[in-house]
Amino acid sequence: MPDGSSNPLMDKRLIVAFVDGVSNILNTMAMTPVKPTKPFIEPSFTVIGDVIGTIGMTSKSWRGSLFLCFSKDSILSIIQNMIGEEHKEVNQEVRDGVGELTNMVYGSAKAALNQLGYEFDMAIPTVITGDFTVSHSSKGVTLVIPFELPNGSLMHVKISVQ
Amino acid sequence: MYPKETKFLVVDDFTTMRKIIRKVLTELGYTNIEESDDGKNAWPLINQAHQNGAPFDFVISDWNMPGMLGIDLLKNCRNDDRFKSLPFMLVTAESEQKQILEAAKAGVSDYVVKPFNSVTLKQKLEKVWSKHAGQKAA
Repeated sequence: MPDGSSNPLMDKRLIVAFVDGVSNILNTMAMTPVKPTKPFIEPSFTVIGDVIGTIGMTSKSWRGSLFLCFSKDSILSIIQNMIGEEHKEVNQEVRDGVGELTNMVYGSAKAALNQLGYEFDMAIPTVITGDFTVSHSSKGVTLVIPFELPNGSLMHVKISVQ
Repeated sequence: MYPKETKFLVVDDFTTMRKIIRKVLTELGYTNIEESDDGKNAWPLINQAHQNGAPFDFVISDWNMPGMLGIDLLKNCRNDDRFKSLPFMLVTAESEQKQILEAAKAGVSDYVVKPFNSVTLKQKLEKVWSKHAGQKAA
């Protein structure tokens, strides 16, 4: 069982939980098969993409944040496949879709990780667009999992642990 | 299976998910569909519809919503004689055993874990129909 002394970002099962969650959700809800590419660690969180869904990950032992970072091309394609509507800009409906995707990815990963003893709580996502910076006290590392979409665009899952 | 005039209430704080569920219901031939963005707003709708003589026949609700959780909306229905047999399905990203057990204990008609496809939703509706039709016959 994980304890507060080990960094969850070093747990391969965490990567698997998020890769499986994203792949299953985008395949099932948006008929979009994605290909995860090599995960990497960045020393601190950096903003990437045109729209980000974020959710606080809280358990007894850790506090962190999940970020789903979408380029405009990636999210417009996903949303069109998900709800059958073509949008040309990241508007309110697209942002709403990002929120729901973040909700589903966290729910799926949480279920897998809680079976391993992580005890993450339920949470409600927030969506961010425009020019922004994100800063929070951090133990210094962010796990980044990039995904390639069939149209060549990218999305990134980022997990920061405080 | 539920008749085409069945009146549905779809409750989810995300418009996207309400659209997806509405799309599936429409493809199945159902057109009498209303929406609410939170359990807190859905409860008065359920009460009002009943008072107006046009009650909802089926509720499809998310679990995690800011004003009132779907599980609490379900409990409100089950604790009210008017709605204790109202078919109520939870469609949610929460897939842990403890949540499913809590929902079962609260009297949920069925539970769909996101992500889901239209085939799954249709199968669940048919299952709830069989269960409720069987109960009415008894």
